[in-house]
Amino acid sequence: MSRLMARGLTLAYEDRTVVHGIDLAIPEGRVTVIVGPNACGKSTTLRALGRLLKPAGGAVLLDGAELAKIPTKTIARAIGLLPQSPVAPEAITVADLVSRGRQPHQAWWKQWSEEDERAVTDAMARTDVTDLAERPVDELSGGQRQRVWIAMALAQDTEVLLLDEPTTFLDISHQVEVLDLVRRLNHERGRTVVAVLHDLNQAARYADHLVAMKDGRIVAEGPPAEVVTAELVREVFGLASVVVPDPVTGSPLVVPGAPYTPDAPRTPDAADLPVPVQKTGTTTG
Amino acid sequence: MSTTTARPTVRPTGYAVVRTGPAAFLLHRRSALVATVLGALLAAVCVLYLSVGESFVPPGEVLKVVLGHPSDHELVVGTLRLPRMTVGLLVGLAFGVAGALIQTVARNPLASPDIIGISQGATAVTVGGLAFGVSATVLPYFSIAGGLAAAALVYLFAWRGGLQAARFVLIGIGIGVALRSITLLFLTKTDHHIAQQAKIWMSGSVNGRGWEEATPLAWAMLALVPAVLWAARAQRTVSLDDDTATSLGVRLGRVRLGLVVTGVVLASVATGAAGPVDFVALLAPQIARRLTRTAQIPLLCSALTGAVVVVSADLLARKLLAPTELPVGVLTAALGAPYLIWLLMRGRTTGGNA
Repeated sequence: MSRLMARGLTLAYEDRTVVHGIDLAIPEGRVTVIVGPNACGKSTTLRALGRLLKPAGGAVLLDGAELAKIPTKTIARAIGLLPQSPVAPEAITVADLVSRGRQPHQAWWKQWSEEDERAVTDAMARTDVTDLAERPVDELSGGQRQRVWIAMALAQDTEVLLLDEPTTFLDISHQVEVLDLVRRLNHERGRTVVAVLHDLNQAARYADHLVAMKDGRIVAEGPPAEVVTAELVREVFGLASVVVPDPVTGSPLVVPGAPYTPDAPRTPDAADLPVPVQKTGTTTG
Repeated sequence: MSTTTARPTVRPTGYAVVRTGPAAFLLHRRSALVATVLGALLAAVCVLYLSVGESFVPPGEVLKVVLGHPSDHELVVGTLRLPRMTVGLLVGLAFGVAGALIQTVARNPLASPDIIGISQGATAVTVGGLAFGVSATVLPYFSIAGGLAAAALVYLFAWRGGLQAARFVLIGIGIGVALRSITLLFLTKTDHHIAQQAKIWMSGSVNGRGWEEATPLAWAMLALVPAVLWAARAQRTVSLDDDTATSLGVRLGRVRLGLVVTGVVLASVATGAAGPVDFVALLAPQIARRLTRTAQIPLLCSALTGAVVVVSADLLARKLLAPTELPVGVLTAALGAPYLIWLLMRGRTTGGNA
């Protein structure tokens, strides 16, 4: 089941084609993560799913209808998107910013409703920013700010949530915090989440459905345990690695080849790497 | 356990919700307070303006005249001072809102109609009109046409599949410079009597302006009130970044165009009435925003600040070197220039937010 799909989607910036006719069905109620090397078109694809970019060919479909033909406000009630580096107006407070997520549910003469208040209160509680309500967004730490932006996207109260590299600029504990929050939202509210991540291991840990892209095409997709293999890592990222089960989650963990040392100046090949004993049968070295 | 522990709900900080029937509006408390204070200040400045002059009229008599009661000061206050003050008041309101709207779209405190070419467009066309002997009654329409044409040019050149704030401002400045040279060309080609007349107009003056200017200006502004009310709401999302605003279902291209057109029309009709009164549109919104501390530029407070600035500057212009009267634009420029330098020194010229 999927409400959101891409069909023969081609995306271009001016005359440079970045994504070449991909087909993609976003599984409903699951966490989908798109991974791939820099400039593989993953963020571009996400932006097109959130109608920030018009397709040069093909279409993005929401419930079978082309996004381009749905009123943008209607889309905003179904799909929320957190851009890669959102900018808050100067001096805006947390509660004010989160409240602006209610825009698609409001009208000129209906600027605030009980429903708005409930959604904003709920979004802020879930992201644990209620205590920051009165603080200016400029004064927050990176992790806090990212939680505030997620709260704003949540307040929008959409079934689908698109996140463009939500962990960039965050230190590792905040990265984990944000990704855990995303998973929790998915579990508790059954929200469909699509995130672009550049860290393959994080993607493997948090995704139900993994989409690997390279050069504007989808190379592989499916559950991380099936998709993430040393071959795929080599093919997509051009990196020699060993894939072992994550000691905590059992999901595939990509361990890149040994770093440079004077004794072994040659970049190791995956075949040369020692392969540890596999504990589960889900990963193939 | 039975104690009610209802979780406090969250509302946008600093806003009150005003409900009337099915409608509900967000009212920024501090802005409402600031607007009240500015309104009182404006009233006081206006009374002072009508009292002070070659002859002093007590404020009590001023109020009588304004309220239409018979008074001995009818001529001085009602006929000589009131019409001119009204033009100044309206021009200040219009420039205040125009500046606020254009700064919102450009996300830059430097963007105002007198910086990005709109005033220069109005000036070029008006001076051209003067040089070719167009009658004074239609000149304001020349200003409006000039302002709109300049704005259209800026928009056209700055548009590249979207409107980028920095490009919008830079292209505006460039077009402003080009238009200024056209104005100078007209000035040097025309005879010195008309050039003199044009120069006074160009410095922004309400001297000698009266009901003939005030009435059409008031009607034009009244007609724009619905657009301004819409704009006040649209500002909430336009002040966010492009991606976020689009994700919230805002048609950014259209909304920005609507805001710019409203601002340009306001600036152009004001320029038509009083010439380009420099820096008011630049100053007023930024002063107002610092007073209200809102995340977007407050429209009503910008309007009131603009009016306070123009009326008090014109009061000074009348009194400072009396009996010689300065054009009000000279004073607003004298006030505005140091502010502009301060703004540039703070390094916020390319900042992401207005």
